[in-house]
Amino acid sequence: MSIEEYPRVESAGVLVWRRLRSSRAAMAGLVVLALLVVVAVAAPLLSAIEGQDPTTYHDGLLNSALGGVPTGSLGGIDSTHWLGVEPGTGRDLFARLVYGAQISLLVAVGSTFVQVVVGMAAGLAAGLGNRLADQVIGNLSDIVLALPSLVFAIALMAVVPSSFPRPLLLMLVIGLLGWGGTARVVRAQTLTLKELDYVAAARLGGSGTWRIARRELLPPLAAPVITYAALLLPSNVVSEAGLSFLGVGVKPPTSSWGQMLSSATTWFQSDPMYVLLPAALLFVTTLSFTVVGDAVRTALDPRAASRLRVGVERPRRGKRRQKSQTSQASQTSQTGEAAA
Amino acid sequence: MNGLSRFVLRRLLGMVAVLLVLSVAVYAAFYLVPADPAQLACGPRCSPAQVAQVRDQLGLDAPVWAQYGHFVQGIFAGRDFGTGSASVHCDAPCLGISYKTGEQVTTMLWDRLPVTASLAFGAMVLWLLLGVASGLLSVLRRGRLTERALTALTLAGNATPVFVIGLLLLLLFCAYLQWLPFPSYVGLTQDPQQWFWGLLLPWVSLALIESAKYARLTRSSMLETLAEDHIRTFRAYGVAERRLVTRHALRGALTPVIALSALDLGTMFGSAVLTESLFGLPGLGKLLVSSVAIVDLPVVVGLVLVTGFCVVLANAVADLLYATADRRVVLS
Amino acid sequence: MSRSHIPGGLRAVSSVALVSAILVTVAACGPKATGSSADATAHQGGTLTVLDENPQTDFDPARLYTTGGGDVPGLVFRTLTTRAHVSGAAGTKVVPDLATDTGEPSDNATVWTYHLKPGLKFEDGTPIAAADIKYGIERSFAPELSGGPSYLRDWLVGGASYQGPYQNKQGLASIATPDAATIVFHLTKPEGDFPYLATMTQFSPVPQAKDTGANYYKHPISSGPYEVTENQNNGTTMAFKRNPYWSAATDSQRKAYPDVIDYDSGLDPAVINQRLSTSSGSDAAAVTTDTNLGPSELAQIAGNKGLASRVGTGHFGETYYIAFNPKVKPFDNPKVREAISYAINRTAVVDAAGGSALATAATTFLPNQAAFGYTPYDWFPAGASGNAAQAKQLLAQAGYPNGITVTLTHDASDGSYTGPAIATAVQAGLKSAGITVKLNPVQDSDYSSLVNSVNTEPGMYLASWGADWPSGGPFLAPVFDGRQIVTDGANFNNAQLNDPAVNAEIDRINAITDHAQAAQAWGALDKKLGQDAYTVPLLHPVYERLYGTDIRNVVINDWDGRLDVSDVAVK
Repeated sequence: MSIEEYPRVESAGVLVWRRLRSSRAAMAGLVVLALLVVVAVAAPLLSAIEGQDPTTYHDGLLNSALGGVPTGSLGGIDSTHWLGVEPGTGRDLFARLVYGAQISLLVAVGSTFVQVVVGMAAGLAAGLGNRLADQVIGNLSDIVLALPSLVFAIALMAVVPSSFPRPLLLMLVIGLLGWGGTARVVRAQTLTLKELDYVAAARLGGSGTWRIARRELLPPLAAPVITYAALLLPSNVVSEAGLSFLGVGVKPPTSSWGQMLSSATTWFQSDPMYVLLPAALLFVTTLSFTVVGDAVRTALDPRAASRLRVGVERPRRGKRRQKSQTSQASQTSQTGEAAA
Repeated sequence: MNGLSRFVLRRLLGMVAVLLVLSVAVYAAFYLVPADPAQLACGPRCSPAQVAQVRDQLGLDAPVWAQYGHFVQGIFAGRDFGTGSASVHCDAPCLGISYKTGEQVTTMLWDRLPVTASLAFGAMVLWLLLGVASGLLSVLRRGRLTERALTALTLAGNATPVFVIGLLLLLLFCAYLQWLPFPSYVGLTQDPQQWFWGLLLPWVSLALIESAKYARLTRSSMLETLAEDHIRTFRAYGVAERRLVTRHALRGALTPVIALSALDLGTMFGSAVLTESLFGLPGLGKLLVSSVAIVDLPVVVGLVLVTGFCVVLANAVADLLYATADRRVVLS
Repeated sequence: MSRSHIPGGLRAVSSVALVSAILVTVAACGPKATGSSADATAHQGGTLTVLDENPQTDFDPARLYTTGGGDVPGLVFRTLTTRAHVSGAAGTKVVPDLATDTGEPSDNATVWTYHLKPGLKFEDGTPIAAADIKYGIERSFAPELSGGPSYLRDWLVGGASYQGPYQNKQGLASIATPDAATIVFHLTKPEGDFPYLATMTQFSPVPQAKDTGANYYKHPISSGPYEVTENQNNGTTMAFKRNPYWSAATDSQRKAYPDVIDYDSGLDPAVINQRLSTSSGSDAAAVTTDTNLGPSELAQIAGNKGLASRVGTGHFGETYYIAFNPKVKPFDNPKVREAISYAINRTAVVDAAGGSALATAATTFLPNQAAFGYTPYDWFPAGASGNAAQAKQLLAQAGYPNGITVTLTHDASDGSYTGPAIATAVQAGLKSAGITVKLNPVQDSDYSSLVNSVNTEPGMYLASWGADWPSGGPFLAPVFDGRQIVTDGANFNNAQLNDPAVNAEIDRINAITDHAQAAQAWGALDKKLGQDAYTVPLLHPVYERLYGTDIRNVVINDWDGRLDVSDVAVK
């Protein structure tokens, strides 16, 4: 019987894609994101074309007596250094920015993956497990949501020994502090789906819990989870940038946009280009992710679109609603926290 | 006992439970790190004998569970560090003593609180004004260019980290136009005018980001309220749309806005760290970053607990606001 | 003898120079500041504001670790001798303070005698006697008043076992006070530098009757021109007013122009420099004792004459260097150490430290000041940006024709010259010579205990050495004297060098009481030690201090490189 499910899912995919294509903003966002991925993957190639690398110092291009500010105009932009050089080191900014894209995207995708996997596992276990499992997992995700995640992340990043690979640590810390929302969404969906006829039929047909979860629940869960993940992505980009900005992210000489912005803060008056470049990239990236995420949400659930497009859902009456409102608000504030 | 007070009691018990788990988790995560806290507290120049003395003084030779017990006891009843003439009393609520300065953590947090509180409350006022106003505007201008522009703006606002907005604002208003002074913190009681001007840029940076969310929320809840029966009746009676929106629908629509504000305000006590770092404001977040850099564990743990408490408290307040403002919500 | 405490605000200073995630703006925000052109004469009275990053923690003369008596502590604590309160190199000289001279040595510099000036009084009007100085020194031996330097314990006869006046009531016999105005010190070995040690706050008088033990820091009894009127949060916020019993007639060094001094700390370096640059309200009469200008701030100040005229330059004897542990391969091979010395790109290192205005490239271990006996040498000339060819040749000779991979351990904290910025500059420089450097960042709090323990010392790491006083002795002995290798505590002899000839030479110079003669000998020893490439000297820092528009009579000596608060006047 589940064979019949697949065409439905596939046609849903086609439908969603058609809806996405009709949104000009979403397409623009997708193009920008695709470009960013290409840039990140081809970072070594691109810097090779420029003839530079992200770690070589160029002290000849700096005015040492003035604190090491680039001598050229606009932060030292010329034909050999397309976007100028970094004050204090003379490292090539174009190369550092394209390599920075690697970190930004890698950590964002990786931490979203962790959030989704952990959140789905927890949500499914809560939805399918017994009362105790539900309660324990529910409370656990409540606590994760209640954690001041940024504060906790900063503290954790500082406590883990420096020898641990930083990008991986960033993914884990951001991921493990942000799965609460996904877990709630998945749990709620699972509870609803569990009552549906075809799942009950599968159960009667003798399928085990694991099989049901895999064959019957995962396909219909895909839509809400993808929607939620699409919203997590931009906030994870911001989280990585924020942690690197605070000096607890990637370690030198690895470049990341957040770390560049943090050293740029001292230079914003004497070398504005040094601020504007990573700031613009970070802005464009998060904006594209947000626009695409918004569009994906609309495309997956056009019925709710008008309501969802405008943000946090209002509660209906009843106690279940009451609870879900709070969780919605918490999720929003989590995302907001990353931005603040 | 009526529904409301039962609800409050239930929430309070829940809060205590969450905080308890939080404190165990935090204590475990940060006190069981490989580094020796006594060595950290004593500094690199300490001889083994001095380290032993510090270990004794801080009660670090007791079993872990007992240490946690002392920690909790300190919060509620205060505690003494060390014995005899060298003992130091730490008043309740005692979150420990800084390894680096020897100050009580509670005092350190208390000293920084006005900065973060000024930042958070001021930003909230501003984001409410901005958010509700633009939300209303987009409702009044439904389907027009204004609405589309506002939607785009709110998306952009949502997507921008505060240190990007803040840096750009600094570049523009402080460096280029020179309209505003460089942000700094002066106590409200010390000089209200300097307090205001010194915090304006941080407030605006935060509000620009947060108000996006509020604009969307205001708009959605307003649209929903407008669809309700009594408003339709008003409309049928020929009440002007502007009046409907600003007078009749606004009250009901503001409940979720205020509830979310309470929530964000609580979160802000922890998340202001980026803003404080960017503008060099000596608040709780700045304290966290500097304490983390020198691994001053009692301060870090204290900050995580206090900011966690703020979030939990804010959650409860938000729920309560709902419960009292919207009687239709069934209290459980 | 510690790296972490000696220079008072050393960490503060360097953290300012490298400012990590902090916003710094000086020139453009707010009203344009104007320079102090007219009215250059010093003026009595007014209120001086001090804006600092680090607080005056444990403001007790027994617990402070200062060089030359410190700046803010120097307002309250007079000592037997002190640094000359004049700008530049002349400020590295030691001069009498409470004493009539810098000390009379006898018995091959193992006995030092001081006579007190007449008419010295505490803030309560009681006269200062030699016994008060003896008591002050004895207090610093008490375990509960830790924090001071270990020289007294090492140098005074019986110091090693003395536990302070609270436990050992009979006192320390090696400090004699034959009369109220005379104090005599008996040392275990010849120490020509004793007058320099006598500048530290431990040599400040403490009246036994007013000693409150661990609480003394709240209100120490002043012997200087100011007394403490307020001390909040352990030295974070302090206020000082004139001490009526201090007399300029007995104090030729401190000018003490202002009537009141307000001290505020715990401030962000960027905020301090911003406030000084704007100079509005009370900030016009403000200075900082521990905050340097950062590189980007220098870039802005260059374009603003008004600000540029309000910057003072100072030097503190300090060297940042790569330290090798020859017990770790491949650094046991001198050719590898020499190859790294040849390959280093000092221009990149200096630029990473904030450029030529904030750092000078170093090829000697001793600081580039005459007082230390600076003798120029460059055994492995790397030029401005490294001699890759020579380095490759040496590596080939050492058996690494295809290059080598080494690990550089450094402080993970951004705020110092032993941090990531310098480490990556070293890494980038060595790359061109075929030396691949892997970076090993270590948490700030663990760093010094890791690198200063003989059991955990890495093969190659970033280190710094600052002077307790401007002399070659405290600079070279802890790092190269084999008898100062500490196996169960903080060890600074990175090479664990124990060469009898070097040890004997150190003893010989320590006994010289003529500073100039000793300096020359220290310089020669430094030059000789440099040949072995146990360190790669990187840079000597330079301090650039900004001050408010109403500040006059700025004195920045080369003893500690700081702006002296006891000399400035406010308009």
